[in-house]
Amino acid sequence: MSDLLTVKGLSVDYVTANGGHVRAVDNVSFSIKEGQSFGLAGESGCGKSTIAYSLMRLHRPPALISSGQIIVGGNDIVHMTEKRVQQLRWSEIAMVFQSAMNCLNPVVTMEKQFFEIFRYHGITNDKRVSRKKAEELLSVVGIPAERLKDYPHQYSGGMRQRAVIAMALALRPKLLILDEPTTALDTVVQRDILKCIYDLKKELNFSILFITHDISLMMEFCDTIGIMYAGKIVEQSSSKSILHNPKHPYTYGLKNSFPSLKGEVKYMEGIPGTPLALNAIPVGCRFQDRCFRSCKECFTMEPEISTINDGFFYCHNPLKVG
Amino acid sequence: MFKGDGVYMKKIWNSNIVRFFRNSPKTSIGAILVIIILFLTVGASLFTSIDPTNRFDNEYHSPPSNTHILGTTQLGNDLFSQTLYGGRVSILVGIFAGVLTVFLGIIFGISSGYFGGWYDNLITTIINIIMVVPNIVLLLIVAALIDGVSPFLICIIIGLTSWPWNARVLRAQTMSLRNREFVYSAETLGESKLRIMFVEIMPNMLSIISSAFVSTIIYAITASATLEFIGFGNPLSCTWGIMLFNANKSGALTSGAWWELLGPISGIVLFGAGLTLINFSIDEVSNPKLKAQRIMRAYYKVKKAQAKIIKKLSLNNTRMEG
Amino acid sequence: MKYILKRLWFYIMAFFGALALNFFLPRMMPGNPVQMYLSNLYTSGGVIDNATIAAVEKLFGYDSNKPIIISFFNYIGSIFKGNWGVSFTFFPQTVLESTQRGLRWTVFLLGTALIIGFIINSLLGILVAWKRGSRLDTTLTVGGQIMANIPSVVIAIILSITLAATNIFPRGYAVTPLFFAENVFQYIGDIAYHAFLPVLAVIITGLGGIMGMRANMINQLGEDYIVMGIAKGVPDKKIMFGYGARNALLPVVTSLAMQIGFLLGGSLIIELVFNYPGLGQIMVMAISRRDYPLMQGILLMTTILMLSANFIADIAILILDPRTRRQGGN
Repeated sequence: MSDLLTVKGLSVDYVTANGGHVRAVDNVSFSIKEGQSFGLAGESGCGKSTIAYSLMRLHRPPALISSGQIIVGGNDIVHMTEKRVQQLRWSEIAMVFQSAMNCLNPVVTMEKQFFEIFRYHGITNDKRVSRKKAEELLSVVGIPAERLKDYPHQYSGGMRQRAVIAMALALRPKLLILDEPTTALDTVVQRDILKCIYDLKKELNFSILFITHDISLMMEFCDTIGIMYAGKIVEQSSSKSILHNPKHPYTYGLKNSFPSLKGEVKYMEGIPGTPLALNAIPVGCRFQDRCFRSCKECFTMEPEISTINDGFFYCHNPLKVG
Repeated sequence: MFKGDGVYMKKIWNSNIVRFFRNSPKTSIGAILVIIILFLTVGASLFTSIDPTNRFDNEYHSPPSNTHILGTTQLGNDLFSQTLYGGRVSILVGIFAGVLTVFLGIIFGISSGYFGGWYDNLITTIINIIMVVPNIVLLLIVAALIDGVSPFLICIIIGLTSWPWNARVLRAQTMSLRNREFVYSAETLGESKLRIMFVEIMPNMLSIISSAFVSTIIYAITASATLEFIGFGNPLSCTWGIMLFNANKSGALTSGAWWELLGPISGIVLFGAGLTLINFSIDEVSNPKLKAQRIMRAYYKVKKAQAKIIKKLSLNNTRMEG
Repeated sequence: MKYILKRLWFYIMAFFGALALNFFLPRMMPGNPVQMYLSNLYTSGGVIDNATIAAVEKLFGYDSNKPIIISFFNYIGSIFKGNWGVSFTFFPQTVLESTQRGLRWTVFLLGTALIIGFIINSLLGILVAWKRGSRLDTTLTVGGQIMANIPSVVIAIILSITLAATNIFPRGYAVTPLFFAENVFQYIGDIAYHAFLPVLAVIITGLGGIMGMRANMINQLGEDYIVMGIAKGVPDKKIMFGYGARNALLPVVTSLAMQIGFLLGGSLIIELVFNYPGLGQIMVMAISRRDYPLMQGILLMTTILMLSANFIADIAILILDPRTRRQGGN
C-alpha cells in the first residue's frame, strides 16, 4: 500500500492581538496509506480538528499554517494556489463535519446542496441529472429519495448525519475525513452510522481519517491510531498495539477513561489536571503536570522520538507492559 | 536635569492610560474633538471679545472677514461668537436631556425588569405605546401642546418622550441578570430591593448605560436642534438650533449665505462625531468580541508577510526550473 | 399563518395605544385645546356662538356632560368611521382630505429611501464583514455611524447648500412648478430629479444600519456551514451572498422595522428643508396654527405608516425564512 497523504512538520498558529501567536499544532508528521483507516485521538482542544482543517486548507482567520508540508499525489497542499486547492477539495479529500445540523445551510434544500457540489466541480449543470445522482447517493445511506426536497431542519439527527456522509462521498474522494461524526448522536444511531461508513469503505476503498475523543470507538474502527496531546502527536501505532501495549502514559490514561461493556466492574482512573494552556507551554515534556510516570528529565528536556515496529512515541519514561 | 525630563515623559507615554489612547485612534480623536469643542464653548469669552447679542448696524449679512471670523447674520450679529456662546446652551441642553432620559430609562427599565408582574406589564405597555409613534412626531406634538419654548422645557420634553428606548434595553439586561446567583444571594441576605437593583445589578450594565448615555446626548442635541429649527425655540435666545432657524428664515439656504450655517453645523457635526467615536471605544473596551478587530488586523499583516515569502520561494523555484 | 395573525393582533393593539395616546395626551397637558382652537377661529374672523362652541367641543370630544370613557369610545368610533375631524388650516377640508396629497409624497419618499437604503446598507455591511478588520472596514463603519448620528436637519441643509447650490439638483419641491410633462417618462424623470436629494438625505441618516448587517454577517460567517460550503467548492461570491447574507438578512429585516420610526421622523424634517410637499410641511403648518385635529390626524397617520411598514417587514421575514414558514404549518 502506497502513501496517499503525507504530513511533514505541520505547524498551525492562531494570531493574537499584538501580532504574536499561539501554536495549536506543533511540528506534526504522519502519513495515511491508501485504503487505510487512520484515527486521531485526544482531548478537546488538542489540535485534532485543526489538523483536519489543514488538510483541506479550510482555516478561518486568525488561524494560519505557518510551516510544514502536506503532500497528496506528489503536490504540496500548503503551497498550492487557491485555485488548485479548490479543485482538490471534495473531489480528492472530503470531510464529514461534527454537527450535521450546523454544517448545512438552513435556507437551502438538500437537493440544492447536492446540486452545488456537482455544479461547482464541473460535473453537471443539469438539475435533473444532479437529482438522479443525489437520489442514488441517498439510497446508499438509506434515505428515501423524496426527502431530497426537504430542508435540513426537517431531517432527524441520524438522517442528517447520513445525508452529510452521502454528500461527502458524492465525488468519490480518495480520503474521507470524519471529524467527530458521532459525538452529537445517541449510541444506537452511532453504531448505524459507523457500520454504514465501514460498508462504504469496503465497497469504494477510500482512506479514512477518523477524529474523535472516544478512543474505544476508534479501536474498533481504525487500523492505525495517533494520540495527540497539546498540539503534538505523542504516540502512533496500530490499534492493536495501542489497545494492548500503550507506551505513552497519556495513551494509557485515555484508554482507561472509557468503561468497557464486558468484564468486571473496574475502578475508573481519569487523567488528573486540565488540558495544557497553549500560551504557557512548559520546558520539557508537555504532559509533565499530569503524568503519573514523570521523571526528572521530563521537566527539562523534550522527549525524542522512539520508533517501534509499527509506530513511534515520544516519552522519557514509557510503559513497559509486554 | 535634561535626562531626568526625558525619562519622566517616557513614563507617562508608556503608562496604561496613555497607551490605551495611543492604541485606539478612535478614542483619542473622539476625546480630542469633544474636549476642544467643550473648551471653545465653555471658554467662549477667551476666544472672542464680541458679545453675541451685539448688533453691528453697518454689517448685515456679510461674509467672513477679519473682524467677524464667520461673518454676520441678517441682523448683524457676529456669527463666531454666536456659535461659541450658543454652543454652551445646545450642549447643556443635550447633556441635561440625556441625563434625564437615561435616568428615567434606568429607573423604569431596571425596576420593571426586576419586579416583573403587573408593574412590568404596565411599564411595558407604556413603553410600547410611546414607541409606536415616531419619536420626532411625538416630540413635536407634545411641544405644540405645551406651547412652551424655553430650553429647560425642551429638556423635559425630550426626556419624557425618549426614555422608553433606553428603558427597553435596560429591562432586557436586567431580566437576564435577575436570575443570577449573586442576586439570589443578595435577596436571601435581606438586602433592600433598592440596594439590589442599584448596587448589585446596575454596575453590571455600566457599559451599556454609558454607551446609551452617549447616544442619548447625541440624540438630545439632534432633537433640540430640530425643535428649534422648526420654530419651537425662543427666537431671542441663541443656540445652534436657533441659528439654523434664523438662517432658514433669512433665506440663507436659497441665497447661498453659507457662512450663517457653518458655525452651528460644524458644532453639531464635530461634537456628534466626537461622541460617536467615544461610543465606539466604549463598545470595544466592554465587548471582548470586538477585540477581534485588532486580531484580524494582526492576522492580515502576518498573512501578507507569509504570502511574500511564498511568492519569493515560488519565483525561485520557477527560476531554478527554467 | 398563525405568525401573521399574531403580528396583526399586536399591531392592532399598538394602534389602539396610539389612539389612546392621541386622545388623552391633550387632556394631560396644561391648556385647553378647545379654547385655543376657538381663539384661533376668532382671530381669523370666525363666528363664535354657542352652536360653534358646542360643535368644537364635540369635535374634540370635550363634551363636558359625558364621562371621559364614553368620549374615548366615541372618538374611536369616529376614527374608524373615517371622521378624523375638520382641519382648521384647510377649513373646510377634513383632516383626511388635507393630508391626502402629503401622504402620497411622504410614502413615496420614505418608501424609495427605505428600499434603496436597505440595499446599500446590506451590500456595504456584507462587504465590510467579509473584509473584517481591514482599513475599508473601519472607514466605512465609523464613517457611516458618524453620518447616521448627524441630525437629519443638518444633513438636509448640507446637501441643500452644497449640491443644490451648484444647480445640479433642485432646491425643493417634488415637481417643477407649472411644468406639464409630455409623456410619462418625462414626468417620472422630473420626479426623480426632485426626489434625489431628499432621498439621499434619508439614506444618509439611515447608514447606521450597516453596523447591524455587519454584525449579523460576522455571526453567520463564524458558523460551520460556511466552512462546509467552502469545502464543497462553492465559490467565494456565492458563499458571501447565498450562504452568509441570506442567513444574516433575517435579523436585519427585523432591525430595519425598528428603524422605520426613526427614518420617518427624519424624512419629515428633510421634507421641510427641501420644501417637499409631504406630511412634514403639513405637520409644521398644523403646529404653527395650533391646528389640533390636523396634528392628531398626522400623528395617527404616521403611526399607521410605521405599523404597516413593520407588518410588511414581518411578511418579508416569513417569505425569507423557511423555518418560520414551517412553524406556521406545524
